[in-house]
Amino acid sequence: MSLTNLSMTEAADAVAQGETTSAALVEACLARIAQHDGQVNSVIRLDAESAREQAHGVDRARASGAALPPLAGVPMMHKDMYYRQGRVSTCGSHIRRNFVAPRTATVLQRLDAAGAVDMGTLNMAEFAQNPTGHNHHFGDCHNPFGLDYCTGGSSSSSGAGVAARFFFAALGSDTGGSIRLPASLCGVTGLKATQTRVPRTGVMPLSFSADNVGPLTRTARDAARFLTITAGRCPNDPTSAPEPVPDYEAALTGSLAGTRIAVVEDWFFDGIDAEVAAAFETAMEALRALGATVTRIAVPEMAAVGAYTAVVSRAEGAAIHANWMREYPADYAVHLSGRLYGGYSLPATLYIESLSRRGPLLRAFCERALGQYDLVATPTLRTIVPSLAETDIDADPENWARFMAVSANTRPFNYLGLPTISIPCGADQRGLPIGLQLAARPFAEGRVLNAADAYQRVTEWHHRAPSL
Amino acid sequence: MSEPRMVIPTMEAIRLWQGVSVPNAAARHGLAEMEALIVSLEALRGSMAFEDEPSSFDAALRACMERQP
Repeated sequence: MSLTNLSMTEAADAVAQGETTSAALVEACLARIAQHDGQVNSVIRLDAESAREQAHGVDRARASGAALPPLAGVPMMHKDMYYRQGRVSTCGSHIRRNFVAPRTATVLQRLDAAGAVDMGTLNMAEFAQNPTGHNHHFGDCHNPFGLDYCTGGSSSSSGAGVAARFFFAALGSDTGGSIRLPASLCGVTGLKATQTRVPRTGVMPLSFSADNVGPLTRTARDAARFLTITAGRCPNDPTSAPEPVPDYEAALTGSLAGTRIAVVEDWFFDGIDAEVAAAFETAMEALRALGATVTRIAVPEMAAVGAYTAVVSRAEGAAIHANWMREYPADYAVHLSGRLYGGYSLPATLYIESLSRRGPLLRAFCERALGQYDLVATPTLRTIVPSLAETDIDADPENWARFMAVSANTRPFNYLGLPTISIPCGADQRGLPIGLQLAARPFAEGRVLNAADAYQRVTEWHHRAPSL
Repeated sequence: MSEPRMVIPTMEAIRLWQGVSVPNAAARHGLAEMEALIVSLEALRGSMAFEDEPSSFDAALRACMERQP
């Protein structure tokens, strides 16, 4: 097996056991990037020499008999909105093309301490503000399974690069689906934890109420190890949750015996494509075969969740960008300034109402959908993967509705703050991936990770690699 | 399709309150799309209680945690 086909945990364990070296992993990844990133366009900054130095440090430590931390020697790259002190963090934008980060993000500090090798930064949607992966300034990121198709956004290259075997894991961020969408469209695993579970210090803000930090990886086991390392209270982020962090990987059982899964029929299946519906049903059969029960339920509050979701992140995003929208509106891509602009029309009273209803709607959703059930299952995306052309607002504003529809099934879980994962569960006739989304009660990340891992133990979709 | 009547007065309100001018045709199109959101929100009128405050979400997250048997 090629080194780059290993999962993150397999790569880390192989280094720890002396079956390979970190230097070999880094060289394999660099070669893969050199060979294929001209097609995918995922890399903004490649720190090859720094990566080699980090890798040699890990290999020397192992040779000396030192105990290695859990991600020692594993090459990663991250969305270019995670600050590292002294390094430019473009946030995928022209406006911040020369922004030098004043501090290092808490999650990068934790990954550094776990021994991960940081190879550089990744292309992304401008200011993390689109669900498709378009980028006017650095060029669109292309789906490795079909280069004319969307990667999903906003963590476009985090998904595309993990799928293309350029690195073993990547940080994404998720305010309306920006981890789960590229995971779904690129056929990898993406985890959005409970709101506030992972500290956001040193991370570019989009919407304070809905921003989340999380990984894109090949497997749920990878995501479990990644979350164990990155989650937990940080004194520099007063909004981060103080709940203790379990060892999520150690808790994976492979069994779903007794697990009750609800399929919410409202909202999530409106206008669904037949191929997506068929893949979802096949996935439910697989979960049943693992011991789960699957029940269809109604949650009439979904209409309210959908409406309020649209208000919160748009109002907060517009507020954050107000100065630049006044002074440099032409420095944004058309689709972004166009999207931000609508946020200024939202009355403050509606924004406050949307925040006020968040708690009651979370309680209602948990009572109705997660009272008698342990997990909620939905398709991550209602449609098959759209092309870059048919979701390009810059070329044609009439594409607006198709562009916004991409995140319809992911946004509600940001408003509700629930832990949610997307895993690959099929492919359409063109070979493009289809994703399954699983959500659980607050801080029950272990539930979604265990279900995703159990599913991946009996299916092969997560092993599928693109033919670049 | 004709542009909803709310677009021009809303553009004027945004300029007045925020000092932001419409940057391009896509923005104007996006503003027109807000009409659907207005309809969705109209249907929710009356759901907020007088005593509701926006500070309850963190408490709700913890209140909704899974209880161990």
